[in-house]
Amino acid sequence: MKTQIFLSRRGALIVTMALALAACASTPPPVASLESARQAVAQAERARAADTAALELSEARDKLAAANNAVKNENMLIAQRLADEARVLAELAFARAERADAQRVNAEIVEGTAILREEILRQAGGPR
Amino acid sequence: MNTHDRKLRHGMIMAFVLLLGACATSPEQPSEAERARAALDELQSDPALASRAPLAIREAELAVTAAEDAERGTELAAHLAFIADRKVDIARAQAETRLYVDRREALREERDRLRLMARTQEAEAARRDARLASLQAQATREEAAQLRREIDELNAKPTDQGLVLTLGDVLFETGEATIKAGAHNDLDSLADFLERYAERDVRIVGHTDSVGAAAFNEQLSERRAEAVKSYLVSEGIRANRITTTGRGETTPIASNDTAGGRQLNRRVEIVIENPSVAGR
Repeated sequence: MKTQIFLSRRGALIVTMALALAACASTPPPVASLESARQAVAQAERARAADTAALELSEARDKLAAANNAVKNENMLIAQRLADEARVLAELAFARAERADAQRVNAEIVEGTAILREEILRQAGGPR
Repeated sequence: MNTHDRKLRHGMIMAFVLLLGACATSPEQPSEAERARAALDELQSDPALASRAPLAIREAELAVTAAEDAERGTELAAHLAFIADRKVDIARAQAETRLYVDRREALREERDRLRLMARTQEAEAARRDARLASLQAQATREEAAQLRREIDELNAKPTDQGLVLTLGDVLFETGEATIKAGAHNDLDSLADFLERYAERDVRIVGHTDSVGAAAFNEQLSERRAEAVKSYLVSEGIRANRITTTGRGETTPIASNDTAGGRQLNRRVEIVIENPSVAGR
């Protein structure tokens, strides 16, 4: 709830900044790309990428921060590219988190199977 | 003259090589997208993965192409190559995720098959155990019944100390410690019993009536107990299972004033001890 408010406030800030900058500069800030990147990072965080794809997630956050900095410095082209890079990094973090989850689920099944197999062999070899 | 020519020729060759090198480097600069293209090729040629993330692979393909189309050595080319690298990685991760999910059903089936097998086996083992337990219980019951029958035959009385069997005065002549011929029947069934229940020790206690000197009676009762022991040993019972005591006239069970009472007091008691718990 708290994050939600924080994010929407930041979103509003970006929009305001974008409008303000658009008034005096010829290139508008990449609002949509920044928002997409932000959402991609949030999605990766929800998928607990911090546990399973920590490197990609932290790279994405760094790029997003750099993109926001570039907006402040009115370097819109760089901001656009950094935002796009942040987004693919976050998407990669998400994809790898999902893969780690899928792998873990399978590994648990395989482990359960191995335990059962051992039990069966032990039983079969035991009292007879 | 000759060496000069050679030097000149060397110089020309070197210049030519340098010239060629200069021509080659500039237009043949490696594309920033080379790595992404190689990774994409590898992904697409993997039969287990190529068909598992079609959308992501198409996006990666577009990104790689865009990176290849960018002018080499520019920041844009580097940027597009960065994007293309990640897009290929994303496509691979998605395809691998899909592969895990697709394999899951088979893994589950294998696990469920083994689970069923384990349960069946468990149930069989339980049935076997139950059957064994019931056989054992039956054997125990039969054993107990057998023991009861044998105790009945022996005419023994179950007591806290064990089975007490009283042999009357028919065993010995008055004043003698030799077992009468023909009095062996009771002793033979006792020997049989002790042979079958080898974990039970036996105490033999001799008693007399009050006729005669007490010291003589004590010795007599001791010798009679010993005589019974000797007989049992001769029938194959280990001597160390048997202890003997002579109580003489000290422990009457009836009055010594009547002939009937004296007869009852002249006796040999055999105490067949209960088996020790550890022994069974």
